[in-house]
Amino acid sequence: MELELAEEQQLVEEAQQGNLDAMRPILERYATPLYSTVILPRLGDAATAEEVLRDTLATAVEKIRRFTWQGKTIYPWLRQIAINKVFDVHRQAKRSRRLADAMVHEVAVVSDPESHADAQLIADQERAAHRERIAGTMDQLGERYRLAIELRLVQELSREECARRLGVTIGTFDVLLFRAVRAFRKQFGEAQ
Amino acid sequence: MIDDDSSVPDADAEPTPAELAHARRFAEVVDKTLLGRPPAAMSADDRALLEVATVIRAVHGNAELAAPARRSIVEDALRQAIGSASSSPSVVVPIARARARRWLPWSVAGATSLVAAAALAVLWLRPPAPVHEARLPDDQRSRSADALVGPIARERAGDASARIDEIFADRLDGFRARRLQGGKR
Repeated sequence: MELELAEEQQLVEEAQQGNLDAMRPILERYATPLYSTVILPRLGDAATAEEVLRDTLATAVEKIRRFTWQGKTIYPWLRQIAINKVFDVHRQAKRSRRLADAMVHEVAVVSDPESHADAQLIADQERAAHRERIAGTMDQLGERYRLAIELRLVQELSREECARRLGVTIGTFDVLLFRAVRAFRKQFGEAQ
Repeated sequence: MIDDDSSVPDADAEPTPAELAHARRFAEVVDKTLLGRPPAAMSADDRALLEVATVIRAVHGNAELAAPARRSIVEDALRQAIGSASSSPSVVVPIARARARRWLPWSVAGATSLVAAAALAVLWLRPPAPVHEARLPDDQRSRSADALVGPIARERAGDASARIDEIFADRLDGFRARRLQGGKR
């Protein structure tokens, strides 16, 4: 943790007194965990996730005077703003998004409120919870579908390498991945 | 559109030509996305599947926010928030200030017109500057010939040419004197 709790408190107080630029180190620090563990896993679209992150940070700066310091990091407050923004995006989307609707459900987070490291803890726990849900769905897929997703989307191997490891042509691997993602989408929606 | 309720074929099932084409198209979309260049336009089906793929990647830490993008987003957010905070008080302008702003152009135009009129009046009422005549000797100034000729007696009325010669000689003296002093012609 680059930013100690006392330093974070001081920056928040400065911002609340009108020096909004004092929020910069806080935003710099929490932008990444907000994006990768709160927003993107609930949206699935990088461009939209970046917009939501921008709105989240701007709202936090605008409303910093309403934040009450309770001896723990500001991260849970930022996270709640981000989740509200994600809900807004889903509300505005007209088409059915079963996976995203499933992912948007709140992930229970327990952290030590006295620890200055709880922001990282929250982010780690949230990521672990997401992974658990993904793994649970993967377990319900057939072996070859699970492997196709694992090799291409988790290990990010090239299509050629994925096809080689599965002993199929690239065209066949493309079909396998296509079906695997469709199956995952269906299973994940039904699992909720 | 992808039907969520449709069953996904078994892994070993023979793909239809349509499925092959769709699978290849989706593979290319994933390719570009993994290279950090997701296509701007794609079908709703591909977008829905890409969202699934992105969620899986994000949860496994494969879709992190790049540092330049993070800095840019933070900067934009601060500018957006600080800009709106600093501009919000000026949205409502006090009535007195708004009236003052409305009359400002007319005030400037009136003051400018007054200054121009005063300048014209000063120019018009100012007395003319005194004319200084050049001080010249009498023999170089325009003058009557009476001093040379005097009253013409009846018996000398026919000597006009002699009188003209006399006047001409007198004027020529003045002319020569001026020329020899370096004066203008």
